[in-house]
Amino acid sequence: MAWGFVGPSVAIIVALTAFPAVWSVLLSFQRWDGIGDARFTALRNYSRLVSDADFYAALRHTALFTVIYVPVSILGGLVVAALLAKPIALGAFYRTAIFVPFVASAAATGILANYIFDKNAGIINNALAGLGLARQGFLEDPRQAILVIVTIALWGGLGFNVVVYLAAMQDVPPHLEEAARLDGASSLQVFRHITFPHLRPVTVFVGVWQTVVALQLFDIVYTTTRGGPIGATRTIVYYVYRNAFELADFGQGSAGAIVLFVVTMVLTAGMMAYSWRRNVEAF
Amino acid sequence: MHRPALARHRQMAALLAIALAGLGLAACAKTASPSSLDTAADVQLTWWTGQSEDAEQAAEALAKEFTQLHPNVTIKASSGAPTTPDLLQKLTAAFASDTYPDVSYAYGAWMGRLADSGKTLDFTEKVTAADIKWDEFPEPARITASPGGRVVGFPALVDVLSLVYNKTLFDEKGLAYPTKDWTWQDFREASKALTDPSRQIVGTSFLVSGDEDAVWRLWPQVWQNGGAISDADGNPTFDSPAGAEALVLWRQMTVDDQSVYLDNTGVKHIPMFASGKMGMIITGPWSLYDITQGGVDYGVTFLPGTDGDHQSISGPDIWAAFDHGDPNRAYWTFEFLAWLTSADVDKRWSIASGNLPLRSSEKASPEFATLIETYPGMDVMEANLEAVVQARPTHDSYVTLSRNVGEAISQVLQGGVSPQEALSQAAAKTRDAMAAE
Repeated sequence: MAWGFVGPSVAIIVALTAFPAVWSVLLSFQRWDGIGDARFTALRNYSRLVSDADFYAALRHTALFTVIYVPVSILGGLVVAALLAKPIALGAFYRTAIFVPFVASAAATGILANYIFDKNAGIINNALAGLGLARQGFLEDPRQAILVIVTIALWGGLGFNVVVYLAAMQDVPPHLEEAARLDGASSLQVFRHITFPHLRPVTVFVGVWQTVVALQLFDIVYTTTRGGPIGATRTIVYYVYRNAFELADFGQGSAGAIVLFVVTMVLTAGMMAYSWRRNVEAF
Repeated sequence: MHRPALARHRQMAALLAIALAGLGLAACAKTASPSSLDTAADVQLTWWTGQSEDAEQAAEALAKEFTQLHPNVTIKASSGAPTTPDLLQKLTAAFASDTYPDVSYAYGAWMGRLADSGKTLDFTEKVTAADIKWDEFPEPARITASPGGRVVGFPALVDVLSLVYNKTLFDEKGLAYPTKDWTWQDFREASKALTDPSRQIVGTSFLVSGDEDAVWRLWPQVWQNGGAISDADGNPTFDSPAGAEALVLWRQMTVDDQSVYLDNTGVKHIPMFASGKMGMIITGPWSLYDITQGGVDYGVTFLPGTDGDHQSISGPDIWAAFDHGDPNRAYWTFEFLAWLTSADVDKRWSIASGNLPLRSSEKASPEFATLIETYPGMDVMEANLEAVVQARPTHDSYVTLSRNVGEAISQVLQGGVSPQEALSQAAAKTRDAMAAE
């Protein structure tokens, strides 16, 4: 009876997720340009992947992005949430302001970022020039581009962490905090010994979430640098997109997507195992 | 308690399976196609125009007009996709699900792959008819519409790369305007003289977007130097000294002279010229609207040349015609495209959209004269188009070749790699990808 109610929705969701996933696996064993007929090539795409310098570059860029983005977003989210947890003037405004970038579309974020970080006419470079400092290339400099992408992603991603942490902080039993203060603990000690341990499950959840988001970075790259300059911001998903839609090699793109899927599964399983062992009820 | 629930569960599963199977069968069922030609039979054609709003309205009006002339033919016109580049993905999906149209707008770069799909119509014999006047189309358009020697569509749009310059900036620096006899050295010197960092004015621009829009700008110089993009089998030959020479010039201008604005998106350099911050821009008819809106006092001349050779490049787009195994649809698809691209109708389509006319015979029309008044320099671009003799390859390896050369250009202009090395690497990558076929 219950299945009768959820059946149609489940069928649609399964069709829209399972079908492309299965087709993607099949495609990774074929060679297809999207228009002609597909040809079965067994593990050819995977062996080409292993010897593709662009693939390793994409892995490196994604890893670099993830390693910087995830800890900074967690720490930043925690700090901002701790600051906003107390009743302060204009608190509601700040909370809204920090969350709005999260709901802004990637296209809007990309256009905005292009204007702010523009080499010749961007706000930041104009400010630097006004202070007598050199104009930076930002999104047009191969070494700076990925860091700028991290900044843009943080601008949007921080809001989510802040909201989740704020909600979790409401759950911290106030009598514990009061007891600690009565015993003479400072605000920092209260935070470190009372509040933070209670936030451990939420931290694991946010960590897994942001890692998966970071591994799948695509939309900001697409709307700002298109993987440039000279491929410096090409992430794994952009590599998949480029192979499938720009180089017309859907099989190769699918192989990259399957590899990303496996990596994500392994990481997620690892984090869940960690939380299960430490009895942290994150999931 | 468990048995009845399980039985009901099985029943629901069975019903669901039957429903899905039924849907699947319905989707797969096709109506039988007629096997012999009957020009009076009712026919419905699907036309993906790839145009944005205003042009799409004009297209639909033309479709209705054709139906008035031939009442048994209805044409379902739609833009096909939100933006023109998205059309390729739409076509891909449509091929997979057998819902592809009869006519679709296609970028020239797609033609090789579309022809290889085996789903295109073959007009090779039919276009030789005298009333089609196939030779009135520019040669690059005819070549692009005939990948592998088979004509699979009609030209939809022709353009050309010419040199547009800002007269005000030239006057300020006391420089003589570019002429039809300019060499690339003249171009380089002028660009350097026009660059003025204190006013944020730059001599000219080049693209580092890594896509075809960047790559096709290199080809005229490669051709002028006597080189070729690829051979008859699609193997890359652009890494010859002729190719490297073209890229060396741009590298010198960008790195040594610092007179080139590098546009990484392809859409920033035109507004920059239109706002009076650039001395010269190599572009085509599509930019003249923005430039006139920007109020720049501009002039147009031929692309700079090498040893008197000013050949330029055209990027024709094609109305690709697709085969549905129905001789009536095939017949009317041809008739419709022949009518759409005829001189009388095209005047109202191409010229009205601010594009160059498809046929050389339209030059004499009052519509073209009006176009030249609205956008001075269109006549120079038309003349430059007539000087285009070569076309980009239509071999399906061109897609990969283009991307690799795009990356090479970025590496040379932004990354300090030497032109010959970057082009050799791009050629090697293209050969590897072709070998993996």
